[in-house]
Amino acid sequence: MARLLFWRLLRTALAVWALASGVFLLSRHDVNTALQLAQPEAADLRTGAGTPAARQAQEWATRRRLGLDVPLFYVGRHVPAHAVEGQWHWNGTNNQYHQWLRGVAHGQFGTSFRTGEAVTARLGRALLFTVPLTGSAALLAAVLALWLAQRLAARPAWLGPVRGALVGVHALPLFVIALVLLLLFANPAVLAWFPAYGLDQSTDADLDVGSQLADYLWHLALPVAALTLSALPGLTLQLEASLAHELGSGYATTARAKGLAGRAVIRHHALRNALLPSLAQLAELLPALVAGAVVVEVAFALPGMGRLLAEAAAARDYPVLMGGVLLTGAARLLSLLLTDMLYFWVDPRIRWQS
Amino acid sequence: MYRVRQNSSAGVLLCLALALLLQGCKANRREAAAIKIRWAHDPENLDPLQLANQTAVDANYLLNCSLLQADLVTHQFAPVLAEALPTVQFLGDSLMRLHYSLRPEATWDNGRPVLATDVAFTLKLMFCPGLPNETPSSEYRFIREILLDPNNPRRFSLVCTGQAVEYVQASGDFFVLPEASLDPGGEMRRFSLADLQHRPATALPNAVLQALAQRYAAAAPGQTPERLPGCGPYRLVKWEKDRYLRFRRKPHWWADRVRPRPVLLEARPARLQYVIIPDAATASLALQRGDLDVFPQMPTREFTRLRTSPAARATLNFYATASYDVTTVGFNTRHAVLADALTRQALSRCLDAAGVLKANELRQGQRTVGLISPSDRLNYNDSLTPVPFDPAGAVRLLRRAGWQRAARPEAGWRRQLPQGGTQELRLVVRYRADEQLFATIALQFQAAAASIGVPVALLPTESGAFSMALRNGDFDVYVRSLRGNPFIFNFTSLLHSQSVGAGNATGFSTPESDRLIEAIAAANTQQRRAVLLRRFQALMQQQAPIVPLFFLSSHIAASKQLTGLHPSSIKPGFTATAMDWAAGPTTPQ
Amino acid sequence: MAVLTTFSFSWTQKWAFAWLGLLVAVAAVAPALPLPYLPTVPDLAHVAQAPLGPGRHWLGTDVQGRDVLSLLVFGTRTAVLLTLPAALLAACIGALAGGAAGFWGNRRRVETAYWVLAAGGAWWVLRLPAPWLGPLVAALAGARLLMSKRNRPTPGPRLPLDALVMGAATALDSIPRLVLVVAMAASAGGVSATGLLVLLTLTAWPTPARLVRAQMLRVRALPFAEAARAAGVPEWRIWLRHAMPHAIKPLESNFPLSLVSLLSLESTLSFLGVGLPPEIASWGRLMASFRQEPSAWWLLAFPTIMLVISILSLNALARWRRI
Repeated sequence: MARLLFWRLLRTALAVWALASGVFLLSRHDVNTALQLAQPEAADLRTGAGTPAARQAQEWATRRRLGLDVPLFYVGRHVPAHAVEGQWHWNGTNNQYHQWLRGVAHGQFGTSFRTGEAVTARLGRALLFTVPLTGSAALLAAVLALWLAQRLAARPAWLGPVRGALVGVHALPLFVIALVLLLLFANPAVLAWFPAYGLDQSTDADLDVGSQLADYLWHLALPVAALTLSALPGLTLQLEASLAHELGSGYATTARAKGLAGRAVIRHHALRNALLPSLAQLAELLPALVAGAVVVEVAFALPGMGRLLAEAAAARDYPVLMGGVLLTGAARLLSLLLTDMLYFWVDPRIRWQS
Repeated sequence: MYRVRQNSSAGVLLCLALALLLQGCKANRREAAAIKIRWAHDPENLDPLQLANQTAVDANYLLNCSLLQADLVTHQFAPVLAEALPTVQFLGDSLMRLHYSLRPEATWDNGRPVLATDVAFTLKLMFCPGLPNETPSSEYRFIREILLDPNNPRRFSLVCTGQAVEYVQASGDFFVLPEASLDPGGEMRRFSLADLQHRPATALPNAVLQALAQRYAAAAPGQTPERLPGCGPYRLVKWEKDRYLRFRRKPHWWADRVRPRPVLLEARPARLQYVIIPDAATASLALQRGDLDVFPQMPTREFTRLRTSPAARATLNFYATASYDVTTVGFNTRHAVLADALTRQALSRCLDAAGVLKANELRQGQRTVGLISPSDRLNYNDSLTPVPFDPAGAVRLLRRAGWQRAARPEAGWRRQLPQGGTQELRLVVRYRADEQLFATIALQFQAAAASIGVPVALLPTESGAFSMALRNGDFDVYVRSLRGNPFIFNFTSLLHSQSVGAGNATGFSTPESDRLIEAIAAANTQQRRAVLLRRFQALMQQQAPIVPLFFLSSHIAASKQLTGLHPSSIKPGFTATAMDWAAGPTTPQ
Repeated sequence: MAVLTTFSFSWTQKWAFAWLGLLVAVAAVAPALPLPYLPTVPDLAHVAQAPLGPGRHWLGTDVQGRDVLSLLVFGTRTAVLLTLPAALLAACIGALAGGAAGFWGNRRRVETAYWVLAAGGAWWVLRLPAPWLGPLVAALAGARLLMSKRNRPTPGPRLPLDALVMGAATALDSIPRLVLVVAMAASAGGVSATGLLVLLTLTAWPTPARLVRAQMLRVRALPFAEAARAAGVPEWRIWLRHAMPHAIKPLESNFPLSLVSLLSLESTLSFLGVGLPPEIASWGRLMASFRQEPSAWWLLAFPTIMLVISILSLNALARWRRI
């Protein structure tokens, strides 16, 4: 078992490397946009507007500062001026990919194009804000879904209206949920129970730990509620459907025929089998934990991975984006590994894959 | 058993929620004397050499000082570190010498005086290789040399190539950095400014310059501006990325000793907090709750809605000013279909600027004939009239341009080329997808063009991809805003043949317009420049590579407790340092 | 829910059929409907106007002065002709890929000749030195394959099918949406209707793939698969005929939900600043315009109502098959 786990982990690491390398090489095709965005905005009127030669020198200086003046990869295709077909060419180890890979091996993801800040530090800080937010929302959604689906399976009479409500909530895009929550519970014209933005309101840092924590939770209430509401219907409806399917199968009928109460049948017999597809859904929440929730972060003005990555994408800040891709990719592959292990636990008939 | 457990957990949750609520209310009632101002996004980088956005510029005005600064009230440049505006001395017909003298009171935080050597050092930084200085190095290339006065360490003169009026203002519009902190040995004094400016990109690395670049990178003024002593009125106390920036007034700032004190040297608020709230709806809620004090650049709709709401009127003041941002539609003159002025004129008659202004801006904003704001009485060409919305006139102009409407209405317009072959008039409009106003203009244009039989496809584009598309000429028509100011009238980057492939997205250039643009940029009196600018506006209206539609208004909503905002047309639209609480610096709540 | 249903429809299902039929009909005849306004023509005199206001805008207008009623009608057309096919396509691709990955895992052996064929193709595509070598090798491998049809095939290395499918899904999910869309739009020169279809399918297939793979892991261990193998049924036949029908069970309830996520993806794209051509009216984007004008409840209410009824109808029909 331990050996299998080791091999699986090794394979996951290899997959993360392959994924990140692919994205790295593809992303550098768009590097001209990054350079263009680093140049002064053309929509501004300004004093100096250089000649084409000066502009080229300026672009070259930017390229050099961002470390984009060396070739991309060990091999490359050079298209000579008068040829149609390019030739493969060996570039040596002084290339962008090699430098990046060496950095990653040392735990350095490079520095941001925009700010010159170390990517590792920036991602770490963003994670610190994102994980409590998304983590508590995922936990809350999972627990609520488990509870709600069991209740619904036990009492089909409720099913119609509750499913209608769940589908209604599910039909709303996340930013609408967030906006509606804001307009209902943070609006002085309706109910001003919760704050509208940020993580703390106090300007002084002399609060004791207890009230700081309370302040923090008070600020997180609406964002967590929005995320939970958006994740809950999908989880509940899926679990309820599988439960209904399992309850219709032979062994459940047998269990009922033995005289077991409906709830006991669900909890002791059907639930475990019905969980399988839901585990896949839950595992999808794990990468979202580190990728953040851009919509909620924007709506409630919270700092976090979602906003960081969205802004980095808009500015073509590839070092930051690559850090984000590595992180989410790793989380996703790990979550796959985790679900496979959970499958094995839920249904031991599933063979452990080597 | 199930039910009991569920009830108890619900009870616990309820109690927790109540406790949180009470805590929250308590926290809400705390005193907060800092003035909170909304920013839509984080400045990201505060490096004074690499000011990428308006928020970074605003923050740098708090931390650093420049020689001259635009006075938002008078719309004139006024001295800050300099004692007075520079005296101008023309040398021949292409050189100009500007004589500056620094204020004797001016000091860095560590008590050292601000001297002419600091200015010389800052100028050299702009051309030192290895620093993030690409933007200033192109912008300040017109300063070819700095001459220090050997008798007075506070006096110096700048030698400029060209005698343009705007060089006088621009020559003082950069943040001065301390030489003693970045170059303690004074090793940069060995280099002259011209040496650095003409240093080829292929030159061998120089140890002194490399050491300087390393010291600059280690100081990281973009991320930790507090490491360098500034000479501005505020200190950055705390910067939480994507959350807030807190500034605190220095207890003893050098300008406190200046008498009489101009508005630009005021620094009234003891604490300023810029909070970053990306979503406008959230920011508006925070403003109404009193969690925010100033909301600059408020969306027009929200501004109008709040201004008519009695609850908001009781606590907020509303200010609307004309801005220097002009919304324009541009044609890609490199495409053969749009290469002639008549076709462009015809298509510009399909733009209903007045209608869009009425619908989107709720009648706030000004129609314009050119790229110069109508509030600029001297330079605006008021003898022209704005292009009317006139689809029938567009049809006439298209006919004159040689286009013929096909027999079937859906076939559109075609014209024979002199060298044979036919052209078909169908257009692709690109605009930034995140801007509502541009979408409205594009939709209106599409509908009007369809009514005269010109098929138009709309391509809303993500903003990074949009600037690439403009640069590569991958569009027929674009809609975008140009950010202007009342000081600079240099249209080289926008419409000169030199900038085709860079800032000149339309690809437009004629020898006549090139000459005119150069003459405007070189004009050495305001009167001469005004004459040329009026001629330029007429030429552009006739050639129509860019159709300026209107200047938008900018809106600020602020707490009633605040005084001294000085709402202005110039960015950021108000004077943060001159604000004060009406009832003294106590609780705003 | 253990009620045995026969093939007769309940009244809910009849209503569901009626509603979906109505949607399809509206989608088909949308251009011919006598609407007072077209969805692409802004009415600048009536912007963000409430329902039943002046100017014959019965359901109001959005922030650009477009008629909500006609946006809803043409949004239906998009939903039926674009979003629904995309969801179906994504479900099919996901089911096939996930089902195959779950059934064969990483242990399926593939004949050496196929490997050589693939390598030859790759050689040619990459234009490695002497590109003609590629097709030559590939042709040789093809000939070998044809020959070996008669004799026993020689099993080659294992094909990591599971790793490939899950890796592709992970790659698609890990790249931020904005980057993916921008890259696609850049390569296709703007997001068109077909581009949108491809984009929606591409971003939507990983979810069904994971669901089906999860179920397949369980199904392939069931006794009937062993029994079929023992009876000498070929592997692919067991997969397609026996395992797949069970493995796609989770999709029944997931499909209506995935339709919703596709619609909200359309609205999230405009949230991120990636534009779709305004000719493609969509319910999701109508909801998104609520963000510009939070006081305009009609922008949110009408598309949400349409969407909820449609999802409930689809759910009701999905339950029809369930025993």
